[in-house]
Amino acid sequence: MSSSWTALYVAYSIVWVGVFVYLAYLHLRQRRVDRDIRTLREEVLRHGK
Amino acid sequence: MRTERVGKYLIAVSAILVLLTTYLAIFYVPLPATSVRSANDILSSLDGNSITVVGFIVDLKVTPPPGLDASERINFTLADFSDYQRYRGAISDGVLEEGWWTVRPLDVLAFTGGWTGPYLGGILSNGTNVSVTGVVTAGAVGPNSAATGFHIGVSGSRNVDIGTSAAEFSIMTAPVAQKIFYFHMPSAWICYLAFFVTLLSSVFYLKTRNPKYDRWAFSAAELGVLFATLAILTGPIWAKQEWGVYWRWQDTKLTTTFVLWLVYIGYLMLRASMQEPGARARVAAVYGIVGFVTVPMSLLSSRIAPLLRSGHPQVIATSSGGLSPESGLTVGIAVVAFTVLFITMLIKRVEVAESEEELEELKREVGGEA
Repeated sequence: MSSSWTALYVAYSIVWVGVFVYLAYLHLRQRRVDRDIRTLREEVLRHGK
Repeated sequence: MRTERVGKYLIAVSAILVLLTTYLAIFYVPLPATSVRSANDILSSLDGNSITVVGFIVDLKVTPPPGLDASERINFTLADFSDYQRYRGAISDGVLEEGWWTVRPLDVLAFTGGWTGPYLGGILSNGTNVSVTGVVTAGAVGPNSAATGFHIGVSGSRNVDIGTSAAEFSIMTAPVAQKIFYFHMPSAWICYLAFFVTLLSSVFYLKTRNPKYDRWAFSAAELGVLFATLAILTGPIWAKQEWGVYWRWQDTKLTTTFVLWLVYIGYLMLRASMQEPGARARVAAVYGIVGFVTVPMSLLSSRIAPLLRSGHPQVIATSSGGLSPESGLTVGIAVVAFTVLFITMLIKRVEVAESEEELEELKREVGGEA
């Protein structure tokens, strides 16, 4: 395989990985925030606020 | 719940479209031309002339043809490699031999010094995919070699015409790497679109002071930086194959895009450095509006190349000889794919921002009551 093909696949991989790593990061961030919100609400309920 | 489902559908559609783009780019779009030796190989194979390659500038010095005053030292500045590649279509068509420089340097080329600009006039202004008819305003003398189909016609008029058809110039040094274009261009398009969304949202925020516009503004900016990063990373991979180097600072397209990237990284850093939500949103909105000036700078820099030096290909050709039907279809699908992907990611990013604000508010409420 020539270096041109390697370059092509490297470039495509960068885009694919870049996009889906970002999507995964968003997903994890959303999950963490949801968990924090849930925990906070539970604490508020537990303490009768 | 419903938006979550929509989000999942959108992600699935985006993934399918990007997969389709990948498939079409690799298997469907034919290579522009058979692979040829790199420009560096050609240049280094020349003999009998003094050739200096400085970055992308090729200085070709040839002995004046017979009949010319020997004191007229030939000093031919051949723009840069990206232009140089366009000449090579003639070689692939078989109308010229690879050694055309050495075979007939005196027959084909003879330029006196005194260039007023480094570019062959008209080459860049005609873009990448169009036939090239250059008119060099600097002095030019020598015989015409029109019979080759590739000619630098040097007549008494002192005008120089290069090339006869678009096909002659469709070849690239690295035709395989050209397929990077199908991911690089949509990434760049999305970064411009994202920063435009930031601009609009910033304007709306300043008008209404509604925090939702602030969320859209910075979500779009974050995605813009992501896609600009992808474009900036994939571009040099192509450039290395096509031009021989990863980056050239003297190219306005590359440099202005880099500046654009820095400006929006600055936007994100500015936001991160401010705690008070109202002030942060106001300052960011102003920055988002002022920073947008870098978008047309980057977008148009290759279009006004004769004034601002850029060897970056023009994506949308202004004359005949555009993309092949296969390329056009693939580019179209790629643009749609990336646009859907961007919308999906933007919706998701805004949702995350909303949740984070909800959490912050909840924390404030709990802290205030405690």
